[in-house]
Amino acid sequence: MGSQGGFGQSKEFLDLIKSIGECRSKAEEDRIVLREIETLKTRLSSPNTPKFKLKEYLIRLLYVEMLGHDASFGYIHAVKMTHDENLLLKRTGYLAVTLFLNEDHDLIILIVNTIQKDLKSDNYLVVCAALNAVCRLINEETIPAVLPQVVELLGHQKEAVRKKAVMALHRFYQRAPGSVSHLISNFRKRLCDNDPGVMGAALCPLFDLITIDADAYKDLVVSFVNILKQVAERRLPKSYDYHQMPAPFIQIKLLKILALLGSGDKKASEQMYTIVGDIMRKCDSTSNIGNAILYECICCVSSLHPNPKLLEAAADAISKFLKSDSHNLRYLGIDALSRLIKISPEIADAAQHQLAVIDCLEDPDDTLKRKTFELLYKMTKSSNVEVIVDRMIQYMISISDSHYKTEIASRCVELAEQFAPSNQWFIQAMNKVFEHAGDLVNAKVAHNLMRLIAEGFGEDDDAADTQLRSSAVESYLQIMGEPKLPSAFLQVICWVLGEYGTADGKYSASYITGKLCDVAEAHLADDTVKAYAITALMKIYSFEIAAGRAVDVLPECQSLIEEMLASHSTDLQQRAYELQAILSLDANAVEKIMPMNSTCDDIEIDKSLSFLNGYVQQAVENGAQPYIPESERSGMSNISNFKSQEDHESSTHALRFEAYELPKPMLSQNVPPILASSTELVPVPEPSYVSDILQPATSAPSGSDAGPSELRLRLDGVQRKWGRPTYSSATPSTSSNDAVKIQNEATQRDSVGMSNSKARDVSYDSRKQQVEISPEKQKLAASLFGGVSKSDGRQPSSSQKVSKHQNPTSDKSRAAKAAAPDTAVVKTPQTPPDLLDLSEPSISSSAPSVDPFKQWEGLLDLKQDPTPVSAGGVGSTETSDFMSLFTDMSLNVPSDGVAGTMPNVINGNGLGGIMADHSAQQLNKGPNLKQALEKDARVRQMGVTPSGQNPNLFKDLLG
Amino acid sequence: MIHFVLLISRQGKVRLTKWYSPYTQKERTKVIRELSGLILNRGPKLCNFVEWRGYKVVYKRYASLYFCMCIDQDDNELEILEIIHHFVEILDRYFGSVCELDLIFNFHKAYYILDELLIAGELQESSKKTVARLIAAQDSLVEAAKEQASSLSNMIAQATK
Repeated sequence: MGSQGGFGQSKEFLDLIKSIGECRSKAEEDRIVLREIETLKTRLSSPNTPKFKLKEYLIRLLYVEMLGHDASFGYIHAVKMTHDENLLLKRTGYLAVTLFLNEDHDLIILIVNTIQKDLKSDNYLVVCAALNAVCRLINEETIPAVLPQVVELLGHQKEAVRKKAVMALHRFYQRAPGSVSHLISNFRKRLCDNDPGVMGAALCPLFDLITIDADAYKDLVVSFVNILKQVAERRLPKSYDYHQMPAPFIQIKLLKILALLGSGDKKASEQMYTIVGDIMRKCDSTSNIGNAILYECICCVSSLHPNPKLLEAAADAISKFLKSDSHNLRYLGIDALSRLIKISPEIADAAQHQLAVIDCLEDPDDTLKRKTFELLYKMTKSSNVEVIVDRMIQYMISISDSHYKTEIASRCVELAEQFAPSNQWFIQAMNKVFEHAGDLVNAKVAHNLMRLIAEGFGEDDDAADTQLRSSAVESYLQIMGEPKLPSAFLQVICWVLGEYGTADGKYSASYITGKLCDVAEAHLADDTVKAYAITALMKIYSFEIAAGRAVDVLPECQSLIEEMLASHSTDLQQRAYELQAILSLDANAVEKIMPMNSTCDDIEIDKSLSFLNGYVQQAVENGAQPYIPESERSGMSNISNFKSQEDHESSTHALRFEAYELPKPMLSQNVPPILASSTELVPVPEPSYVSDILQPATSAPSGSDAGPSELRLRLDGVQRKWGRPTYSSATPSTSSNDAVKIQNEATQRDSVGMSNSKARDVSYDSRKQQVEISPEKQKLAASLFGGVSKSDGRQPSSSQKVSKHQNPTSDKSRAAKAAAPDTAVVKTPQTPPDLLDLSEPSISSSAPSVDPFKQWEGLLDLKQDPTPVSAGGVGSTETSDFMSLFTDMSLNVPSDGVAGTMPNVINGNGLGGIMADHSAQQLNKGPNLKQALEKDARVRQMGVTPSGQNPNLFKDLLG
Repeated sequence: MIHFVLLISRQGKVRLTKWYSPYTQKERTKVIRELSGLILNRGPKLCNFVEWRGYKVVYKRYASLYFCMCIDQDDNELEILEIIHHFVEILDRYFGSVCELDLIFNFHKAYYILDELLIAGELQESSKKTVARLIAAQDSLVEAAKEQASSLSNMIAQATK
């Protein structure tokens, strides 16, 4: 060990790095790199280059590629080098290929042979190098080539080899589960390996396997608990300790596995309570790694069968996280809270949590904010939906990251649909979402919105439906003049105006049609919007005609229609022609074609076209040929057979490797007549085509126009999520009705009992229940939720009617939230009013007790650093000195004041601003300084003077 | 699972990249550009985590270098932060108070160390001692090979004198 210092590279390489460091522009750098590439090209392919030189060239090539240039010309040399006898070269070759190549690269096939040979080598280092390459490069096709050797290596005498073999097998499992499914038992065996490293490695594949199928591994619960116990009791070698915690990484992995095994399994969970509780108690919450374990424990507790004691401990830990100054811990606290809230909703009632959550929501840190939104999303119910969705929309407008924008927009829609307290609010919220993220949200969301407006809240309350529609129309008329509305939103607007624009008589037909024409003209490039607009026009005109009023087509409408008649888009053309045709019909016919307010009616398709019977009859009597069904026409008898066969084959697009199955007896019965008729089957697609287009044709006369019926078709099977209990009565599932009832009770309780706390409770469960129909989860949720709702049952339902408009309560809750800091201080005097106050009692109280100077001098070698986490670590590195470069690897930043002084003492030059790492630094304090000085001197000797000559490379180091 | 490891200097220069999930060369460049823009601009007191394309990126700054690891949504961020620190501690022990220059000139050695620490995107060895021992074993073989070579050339040199 020790310093390998002397950078050990040739002058050429040093010069290259130096000159790149000195570059002042990207163009200059590119020029140098291109020159280097040329040099490497000639040298690498020259036969006279000595081998040890080749190695350096390859490393230089790696460097070039790291800078983002194409080095593919050298890949083959890397492959060649893996063949070399010399271990030094072989290792470099393997490193290069693992960095250069992806597993689907063509050259892989050239390496497989070498890998095979090396896996059999008697030098374990060669085997290790080969296994590293196996993990990176072997793909699905080449797995069989190395699999036997890798399996054999599971029993190798060197633990390093066994460990890598386990990981390689794990990789194979990830790549192609089928190829190693018969070898899975090996992972179980490796769990009992003598070496903790191998055991730890075996946990990775087992975790994956258990994620897929926990039931098959229930027998291992005892073993895992035992291992965890032994780890926690420090039975593993001391070298696995990390910052005074016994093998924390193995502990975390085991906790993850236990969480999976104990989820939804009371018996298994009971076996785990003791050990998880023990670990939580033992965790040192002043170190980062201790908190990592603590967090994992909380995750585990939240997935096990609930245990009050553990839940309490977890809640305590969460409140510590939330109170911390460190953003990292608060982030984890929020995350943990959202996990725990699922099974223990009361936890959110604690006023101190609410404060912390609000704090995080207002934090400038985006990451923290998003996490908090995630939590809010899970806590939403009808009493707080307005505040939460408003917040979300505000945030959505402020960000530019489209990935996250999409997500948050669809969440807004989901929440609003589920919990909306009033029509106006719902429409307004939707308007905002669509206005700012309309093109990002799924088209389904837009269709859903149209359906909601069309169907309203259910059959029993027509007045409310009408109100919803007219408020939608009104807001759309206002908003539609704005420039740059997203296409999806415009479609919704057009559709709603067409259906309901004139419904309440407030606006005249000519006003609405004028607006629609404006939309169509303003969005000439968008055919979909134009199609929606023209269909809307058609509806309005036909309503007018049906009502017996005279239709005056505005001149701009007329010109629009004419333009459409000549449109390149056949769809637009057809719509325009249809409109024209309707305009010339009389009121009776129009009423039949376009019945008023019919979007919610089911269309019954008369497939046999029975209403034409009389007409056909008449024609036949007049001497027409009777219709012969397809199946009875000669030569066509096989069509249906053929078609079904084709369907079957087209469903499996991929190549088939297995043998064809034997012909089915039923098929063979059908075959003889075909042969007998001697018309060999010709794959004519026509008949099926005919039957395809037949259906829409038949549906046309019975329904309304194409637009709405299309919509209705698309919306089939979409779940109904509207918040009103009556609404979902349309879905016949009894279980979801139950859920609604329960939620209703919960809502009641909220509105009665805790309108001022923005508490989040059971409604999340009930919602989940509604959304996911997986029976297993439903059962679990019902059992979790049933307990809560029972206690709610006694709440007098008469105290407040099942609130149709929850405005009063939610307003109150909003007010309460706005005044949250104040009220909370009143409520919980023990929480300090200013959460940013650094002197939190519980966690950082030990900070002043440790003298940082002493610590620096290594006098307190084994003492843990006092404060919990580094806050970003390096607030003041601007002035860092060369020799204190990596000394800020501290986990912890005691405080800024102290931080500034420490390096001064050590370096004596007053430049430093970095903290000392408490472990690495303590171990070799003296040598470090010396080493750093030596290194500095060496660098200067080599001419890479860290001074103004090459500012780009060293600027940050010197400040 | 860790999808990739990135070391970026404060100027956005790449010092080390290791990809455990398949990315084409083009994607790699894009990822690096995107992430360095995201991470280098973050303030000092914020979270060490960034959500990115449905993944999470955990980063930590040591002097002028940012160590970043990209992980799945459900991984433990704090653990990854400690894995980074673990890696840095090992580097520090190996190079003897490691600095950016060590990693620039000897980046291949940093790769060897990383290979002993992580494999296929998972932590394979959490014992510092074991990693150090393995690296030392490899180095000693390398040293032996070098000595051999140099003694050979010495002999030749003396013989030709």
